Formats: sequence, C-alpha cells, structure tokens
Amino acid sequence: MKKSPLALLLTFGVLQTSMSAFAATAPLDLVTPVSDYKIYVTENVDTLAADTQKFTDAIKKGDLATAKKLFPTTRLSYESIEPIAELFSDLDASIDSREDDHENGVKAEDFTGFHRLEYALFSQNTTKDQGVFADKLLADVKELQSRIAGITFPPEKVVGGAAALMEEVAATKLSGEEDRYSHTDLYDFQGNVDGSKKIVDLFKPQLEQSDKAFVAKVEKNFATVDKILAKYKTKDGGYETYDKVKEQDRKALAGPVNTLAEDLSQMRGKLGLN
Amino acid sequence: MKDSDSKNAPISTDRRRVLMGLGAAGAAVAGASLTGNAFAAPAPAQVTEAPKSEKTQDHNAFHGQHQNGIVNPRPAAGMMVSFDVLAQDREDLERMFRTLNERITFLMTGGAVPQVDPKLPPLDSGILGPVVTPDNLTITVSVGDSLFDDRFGLESVKPKRLQRMVGFPNDALEADCCHGDLSIQFCSNAPDSNIHALRDIVKNLPDLLLVRWKQEGTVPAQAPLKPGQAPESARNFLGFRDGSANPDSNNQKTMNELVWVQPGSDEPAWAANGSYQAVRIIRNFVERWDRTPLQEQEAIFGRVKTTGAPMDGKTEADVPNYHNDPAGKITKLDSHIRLANPRTAETQRNLILRRPFNYSNGVNKNGQLDMGLLFICYQADLEKGFITVQTRLNGEPLEEYLKPIGGGYFFTLPGVVDSNDFIGRSLLAASAHTTKTA
Repeated sequence: MKKSPLALLLTFGVLQTSMSAFAATAPLDLVTPVSDYKIYVTENVDTLAADTQKFTDAIKKGDLATAKKLFPTTRLSYESIEPIAELFSDLDASIDSREDDHENGVKAEDFTGFHRLEYALFSQNTTKDQGVFADKLLADVKELQSRIAGITFPPEKVVGGAAALMEEVAATKLSGEEDRYSHTDLYDFQGNVDGSKKIVDLFKPQLEQSDKAFVAKVEKNFATVDKILAKYKTKDGGYETYDKVKEQDRKALAGPVNTLAEDLSQMRGKLGLN
Repeated sequence: MKDSDSKNAPISTDRRRVLMGLGAAGAAVAGASLTGNAFAAPAPAQVTEAPKSEKTQDHNAFHGQHQNGIVNPRPAAGMMVSFDVLAQDREDLERMFRTLNERITFLMTGGAVPQVDPKLPPLDSGILGPVVTPDNLTITVSVGDSLFDDRFGLESVKPKRLQRMVGFPNDALEADCCHGDLSIQFCSNAPDSNIHALRDIVKNLPDLLLVRWKQEGTVPAQAPLKPGQAPESARNFLGFRDGSANPDSNNQKTMNELVWVQPGSDEPAWAANGSYQAVRIIRNFVERWDRTPLQEQEAIFGRVKTTGAPMDGKTEADVPNYHNDPAGKITKLDSHIRLANPRTAETQRNLILRRPFNYSNGVNKNGQLDMGLLFICYQADLEKGFITVQTRLNGEPLEEYLKPIGGGYFFTLPGVVDSNDFIGRSLLAASAHTTKTA
C-alpha cells in the first residue's frame, strides 16, 4: 500500500504542534529515516522467517546438531527488530518468552517459542516431541511477518526503540539470563546493539543538527561495545558462549551499555517527539 | 470518671449530658479528648495520607575534616552499597570522584531539582518530590582493596591495613554480596531518602559505577527519653540492645584514638582523618533463637534481655566487673560481650565504633525468615579493631544462631574540607607522581 508523504505524516501524528523547548524536528525530516527503518525491519523479518524455516525443519527431521547450530543465528534478526516485534505482545510472548516469565516454568503450557526449543535442544539434548513447538514458532514468525507488513511505524516507537534495545541488553543480556541453556547470549547481544545503532544512524543527521557532542558520545560507546564483543568472535563468524566472557569484560560492557541506555533515553525528546 | 474511657469508648448521650453539665474546670479537663469525636464531625481522612515528620529538613554538613555518617547519631534507616568502579583510567577515576562529590553535596543539602523539557526523562527520580529534602542524610564514601590493583596506579599509596576480607570460620560468604572497589553508606531518617540518593548516583554515573551489592537496614525508634532517664541502645533482631559498649562518639580524644587515622601515623599521609570500615551481613536464625530459653539467650550474650544490663549490673550503662568473676560464674567466659570486649587495659585498643542496622530481606528456601544484622564498624586500625575482635569471637556459642554471608573491608576517605576540595582528592594527589613515571 503506497501512501503520499502527507498521508504518512498524518498517520504518524507528527504534524501536531509542540510546546516543547525542543523544536520538533520538521516532520518531513522524519519521513525518510522512518521509511528506511521499515525497510530494515522488513528485511530482517524476511531473514527471520527464512532462518526459522530451516531451524524448524532441522528439529522436525530430528537433526539435533544442525538445530543447535542454527538456534543463535536464527534469533539474531528477531533481537535486532525487537522494538517493532514487541508491538505485538501476544506474538512476543509466544515467540520469545523465557522460562521465568511463566509461573510453572518449563512445564507451563504456554511456554513456547525459541526458548522452549532452546530448553529441549540444549538442556534436554533432544529434538524428540518438539515438532509441535517448531510448527508453532514458524507459524508465529510468519504471522509477525505479515503483521509488520501491514502497519505504519509510529516514529516515537522507532526512535524510542534505540533506547529500548539497550534496556534489553542491560536487563537480560549482561546477566546471561536470555539464553540460559545454550549460553549463546552474545548473538542476541549483538542483535540488540546492531538494531539500536541502526536507529541512531538513521536519525544521525537530525540529531547532529541539535547536538553534535551527543552523537559523538553515543558513537564512542557503541564502538567500545563492538570492540569488546569482537574479542569473542569465533572463526566461523559466530560467538563464544557467554560463560567464556571474562568478568572484567562483563564489567567493561556494563559501563557503555548503561550509558547508552541513559543517553538514548533522551533521543525522542531531542527530536521533539512525544 | 477515667479520662481514658472517654478516649476509647463512643460517648453515649447520657454520658455526654453528664459531661456537659460539668463546671468549666471539669469541661476543660475533659474537653481535649472530646472535641475530636463528640462535638465536631470528623474531618475527612485518607488512609494514604503521608505520615508526618518534622525532621525532613534536618541536614548534616558535607564539608569537614572527617566524613559525616560515622560519629553522628545513627538515624532510623541505613543502606550499604558496594560498587565496581568502571573507570578505565585515572582521568575517569577523577571524574568519578568529582561527580560523586557534586551529587553528595546536593543530596546532603537538598533543594529544588532543575526542570527540563517534559519530552526528556526528568533529571531526578522525583520520589521525594520536586524539592529534595535532606532528611538527615549522610553519604559516606570508602574504597576497597581492589581499587588499589594495577588499574589506576594506586598500588603504592594503599592504606597499610586495607585488605580483602577473608572468611572467618563461621562465615559462609556468598560471592555476590562481598567486597567491592568502592562502598557508599547512606544513612537518613527514612529508607526512601536513602533510595532517592542511591538512584541519583546510579543515574549520574552509569559509565563509572556499577552496583555490586546492596543491603538496607533499619533501627527501631524508641519513645523520647523521660527526664533523668539514661539513653538506651536500640535492639537488634535477636531482641538484645546492640552497641551498649560503644565508645563515646562525642569525645574527640577517644575518636582520635580509636576511629580516625592520625596524621603522622604509619599510614600514608593522605589517609589521615580517614577510617577503616568493616561491613558484615550477618544472617540471624531467628526462628531457632525464638525457641531458645531466655536464660540461655542471656548467657550467650552476657546481658539481661529486658534492660540490656550486664549480668552483674542494673542498667545498660553499667560496666561488668569481670575481675570479680574470673571463672565466668556470672558472665560466662565465652559470652558474646565478654569475648568481644574483655574490659582489660590491653584490649582497650581493640575498641571499635559500631553503627549497625537490622535487615529483613525475604524468605530463605527453607521457609525461614532471611533477616539479621547489617554490621558496620569504624576503627583507626582494622587489624587491632574488627579483625582482632572477630577473631576473639570465633567459636562463640552465639555462632549457632548466626551466619555471616557478606560484606567487606573498606577505607573511608578523609573528609572534604571545603568547596575547593573533593572526595578522593588527597588519594589521587598522593599517587599522581607514580603514574607520571609509569
């Protein structure tokens, strides 16, 4: 569905006047980055759907080794688009909830998705009886793909997503709680950071107009995180398991991650968005 | 007629008539307790109305030779927080101390929080409202042994007795609540004031400090002293008065001997007017304690539970006479207070200044209450002080009811003397030459 720029702006709600001390970024300035972001998300959810197909195929074939290998890379694209994926809370729960989101833990009937399969593959070391969870995950991802295609992206959600992704890292990645059975947290970590950095990059011209030092500080902290993550890259392009990350590096990651969460929380305001 | 009756019981018409018929004097006596419920309609009330305190503006000086929060009277709420320092170099470390200095200055003074554009996150959590009330807050900064590793070039200026806490025989230390590069002790009239201060510091130093562990505690309040009544120590969660033998914190000479590192001592010069801080999170097995006969509890402590008096005394302030009791017939030789403070000339130099809080965290896996003592003490010499005292206590019968699970040793920095000074300045200055050559 194609929309004229004006129609887009009306949908985004960015034409409202603002009493804020920050001059709202001229609405037209937001059209390009928001539509570029939609392209980014669409590409990622397409990758996610294709990867999930292969991942779930391996499980249904009983190919444990391949399923284990595909688990972290399949999740990566989900993690990078979480701000949009999380707009659909029902799907987020069925695709990405963790054991501790459920009172009955792994036995909970509604514990499905990536982490339910992760539990079977890495903790139980089996693909047995996992077909039903594999089918459900694939169906949920396809549903996500179609819902994303049908929505207009609210600019404040897009811009706010940069901070939300760093909050994800601060809350669940630094502690190694995300992938507790496979310890492949660094893939998710990278996915969150990449997704956050993408948003900052897209809005960089607008941000630099108001605060060059802000952009420089944010980019410096992203670079620090990338540098530490790079230490744990493996030859095949993947990542070491999180238990291999030295205590010293976990702490060294905490500083820039928390500072990014703090600084990026100002991004919406700096762009004059509500 | 008993005055208390009219306070408690609804007043019947008959009784009201009788009371109204009293002379002026009688009415005046009865009046105070009647106006509220008999003659006026009750004012509207909200159960959520804030409790009242006249002490929210109480404040402590930040500037001084020594840091505050050590010899000033301990308020009702305490919190000990240990941090990992995330600074990567000395420049960052100085920025950390300067930022801390700025935040502490504001928090201990109070005042209006600057307003920012509502599209931005506010600068302050807002939990004390738009004008921060100091509420008797003190913030006391100390540094741990690990800050003096190879990161910042501080190795050569480490206080002589600063060391990583080593577990005592009865300890079951949990790695998650031990040690740290830096400790901050928050004390104020209310837990919320401490939490507000902590959140301010966390928000303002995200790239420099990471919370490692935190323990909050409280002190039960007592009714104001009646004229002639001697001050009494607060009770711990074992029901005993705690701190009875604490040295007099108003006595400057005693504090110089026992608490403050003195200029010209064998400690590095920069450390003068600082102090050693020992922190211990000591779990109490309260269910078992509550199932222990009173006489046994008192024998274990060496004090009378009700009054806090020593076994041979009448009041808490009485000094036990162990000389007359060499075999421990009155106060057992292995009782807590006798081991901790044998009251000999030689053990006077082992005295420590205690500033503990009671903590209550939740429930253990076994269904028993997770509570105990957030033990904090200060001394000029960590080895002669806490370490010697705790070593004497090793094996005491009280251990049956205690399990220390966390804490650490820290060095409390000298005070910030004026607005040109900042917390940690003397430490950085003393080590400046070592990094230039490094």
